[in-house]
Amino acid sequence: MAELPVLIGLLLATAAGTAAALSREPVHQALVLSVLGLALALLFTLLQAPDVALSQLAVGTVLTPLMVLLSVRKVRRRPREESPADGRGEEG
Amino acid sequence: MNGWLAAACLLLVLGLGPALCGAVVGPVRSRLLAQNVATVLAALVLLLASPGYDRPAYLDTALVLAVLGPAGTLVYERLLAEDLPRGTPWPGLARGASWASVAVVPPVVVPVCFAVAPGRTTVKVLVIGALLVAGSAVCGRALAKAPRTAAGEGSGG
Repeated sequence: MAELPVLIGLLLATAAGTAAALSREPVHQALVLSVLGLALALLFTLLQAPDVALSQLAVGTVLTPLMVLLSVRKVRRRPREESPADGRGEEG
Repeated sequence: MNGWLAAACLLLVLGLGPALCGAVVGPVRSRLLAQNVATVLAALVLLLASPGYDRPAYLDTALVLAVLGPAGTLVYERLLAEDLPRGTPWPGLARGASWASVAVVPPVVVPVCFAVAPGRTTVKVLVIGALLVAGSAVCGRALAKAPRTAAGEGSGG
């Protein structure tokens, strides 16, 4: 009975991870990734590792989805900017 | 397992489970709302874990999440402004979920306040609760607003 919180946290992290792996749209995936980061941070706290949970919160909840979103924005904007110009293709 | 952890389990099953479902299905706006609700509920679970395991230091995690969560939601709202359609399929449900997540905050914060050692820790718990309510209100207002078009209005920030 004492392991019930850990069990629920594990189930949540598993469900969120599966959902993040199965979502195809990058924007949707970024939001599910942020929930996955939350679930992992909760799991770490319930396993009594608050320091790991702190770094997981900062990295998994904010930084990783933000990086995904910024790259999606960059990739989407590039064709629109190039179309009126002479189309000098910058890779990367 | 004591009462604090039982309440945390209840919040995990009844709160974060549906929030995860909301973040997985539906349009972007309702997913963002569900993510915001999940942030508030996760902070409350972290708050409950502190007296549950009798470790006052666990409050720091909840404080960090209470600060980072609304900031992250506002950043998403700004970055996804073009993707956010004008409404959700179930506006009542989305609003109800937001209000429910705010309504759960005082029943969790007040008992935790009395459970922790009086002094600075009590103030910290109260600050976390105030941050959660204020952040949820700000995010709810930002998300309820009509979305800006990308070219229509200059973004000042």
